[in-house]
Amino acid sequence: MSPYAGPVQDLIDELGRLPGIGPKSAQRIAFHLLKLPTPDAQRLATAITEAKARVAFCQRCFNVCEGELCDICADPRRDGNLLCVVEEARDLVAVEKTGEFKGRYHVLQGAISPIEGIGPEQLRIKELLVRLDPEGVQEVIVCTNPNIEGEATAMYLARLLDPLGCRVTRLASGLPVGGDLEYADELTLGRAIEGRRTLDAS
Amino acid sequence: MRLQRLWLTDFRNFASAELELDEGLTVVIGRNGQGKTNLLEAVAYLAELGSFRGVSTDDLVRAGMPSAVVRAEGERDGRSLLVEAEINRVGRNRVMVNRQRLQRSRDLLGAMRVSVFAPDDLAVVKGGPGLRRDYLDATLVSARPRLDELRLALEKILRQRNALLRQSGGRLSDDVAVTLDVWDARLAETGEKLAAARAALVERLAPAVAAAYERLAEVPSEVSVRYEPWWRQEGLAAALVVGRDEDLRRGVTGVGPHRDDLELAIGGMPARSQASQGEQRTLALALRLAAHEVVTDEAGSAPVLLLDDVFSELDPARQAALVRWLPEGQTLLTTAGDLPAGIAPGRVLTVEAGTLRPGGPGGGDGVDGGAEPADADGGP
Ligand SMILES: Nc1ncnc2c1ncn2[C@@H]1O[C@H](COP(=O)(O)OP(=O)(O)O)[C@@H](O)[C@H]1O
Ligand SMILES: [Mg+2]
Ligand SMILES: [Zn+2]
Repeated sequence: MSPYAGPVQDLIDELGRLPGIGPKSAQRIAFHLLKLPTPDAQRLATAITEAKARVAFCQRCFNVCEGELCDICADPRRDGNLLCVVEEARDLVAVEKTGEFKGRYHVLQGAISPIEGIGPEQLRIKELLVRLDPEGVQEVIVCTNPNIEGEATAMYLARLLDPLGCRVTRLASGLPVGGDLEYADELTLGRAIEGRRTLDAS
Repeated sequence: MRLQRLWLTDFRNFASAELELDEGLTVVIGRNGQGKTNLLEAVAYLAELGSFRGVSTDDLVRAGMPSAVVRAEGERDGRSLLVEAEINRVGRNRVMVNRQRLQRSRDLLGAMRVSVFAPDDLAVVKGGPGLRRDYLDATLVSARPRLDELRLALEKILRQRNALLRQSGGRLSDDVAVTLDVWDARLAETGEKLAAARAALVERLAPAVAAAYERLAEVPSEVSVRYEPWWRQEGLAAALVVGRDEDLRRGVTGVGPHRDDLELAIGGMPARSQASQGEQRTLALALRLAAHEVVTDEAGSAPVLLLDDVFSELDPARQAALVRWLPEGQTLLTTAGDLPAGIAPGRVLTVEAGTLRPGGPGGGDGVDGGAEPADADGGP
């Protein structure tokens, strides 16, 4: 039996389902929210509902966007030859901030991780494959995180794309090993993009 | 590195304790259950942020108290070092080095090093292969802290691969096959690196173990230490291919560094099953002393050597041999009974029910500079 009254426990449970939030943190955040003045709590609730209602995923690249296509997909000045594959929309933002990259993106919405039940089918990989020909993609730059799951995803993509005659490159090292792309500083990330290398499929 | 002073607050049965350590040998005397092992555990905690007794950090906090603090002052490479650890029952544990809070615990690796010998070490010789792998990997990480990344990566890859094997339900669909290929490649790469590092370590460890064993046993002995996983002949990638069907059936990875053994033999016979208890104890201690020697060499300075209840493990001749051959550097040794002849600790402390006082259990508190305790009483 849960130690808290229904609505409190519901809140704790919901918060506990968020990434990176364990039971202890969920409890702390829940009680913090309960102490907030009602308008503040209301604002948070509205922000969540609004974002859910108005923001969707780009139908082409799965970046977050407000319409059917995101700003990048809709921009004719972007170089269609280059496609940068990232795990999450926040990684796209990180790469975009470097100003180094003029191509388009594809957001996988995760990385291969059997422990979490995420295999290739759970990712936007089929959607990636159907973009290659129509958009005339010459090179796919794999910008997954330099951790175990990101590396495995990169290798999977290399094996998948190599036979299709598409050049596949991976960010050059220089990125902190075991780190997350979104935390890399712009300089490091910019240099890594310049120094990208062919990803070998073996 | 050298430890000069140590403070404990609400650590195990120590409400509050402060002690100074000799730059050579410090001996802690106390009857059973008084806090000898607890004291060594506190020192080791600062190096490893965990208990060498393998318990959760909650158990380290004194009963009824919310948190424990262990603080040590010392020097390393000629610079002063202050390590402070706070162990909390609720919330995160914290570590500060020279008053800087560490963001990740692995940043501590190498700031302070210890080599721990405890009576439980006998299990390294007598127990299953997992304990010998742990011994090997802990020595590896102690000698080269960066290798911890390799060990952690291997663990993660194995967890992912095993999860995939279980999800496959024993069948190799095309999808599973491609994904499995990817994990196999990652596993092979990481596993080969770890095994190569282990093999290089064992090459240095083996002669050191044999030499330490002979010094303790005082008779010529043919001790061999070998790390020769069969899969290294063909390579892990090939071994994984051969084992794939079996792995799919069983849902676990059957080959790799996580299944290897470190083979120990005395006079050509496996030490685990055929050596006498005395030989096994001596070998366990020799393994620890050899690891200490190799780490000292590799790191450029000696870890603090922590010897828990070591005399109870050895006959009088071997006790005397150990005393004669104690490595240079700082040693903290505990004992419940008499001190062997010839021992010359720089400092002697007595522990009783979580209270420390200078000197041996019989006498006053004057023993402070090289003198032997006159009458360490007969122990329990
Ligand atoms: N968290 C704790 N709080 C209080 N006392 C503890 C705690 N953990 C262990 N002890 C006490 O410490 C004593 C054992 O100390 P230990 O160092 O293992 O003894 P020894 O001197 O034989 O090595 C026992 O009396 C035990 O009750
Ligand atoms: Mg003990
Ligand atoms: Zn888009």
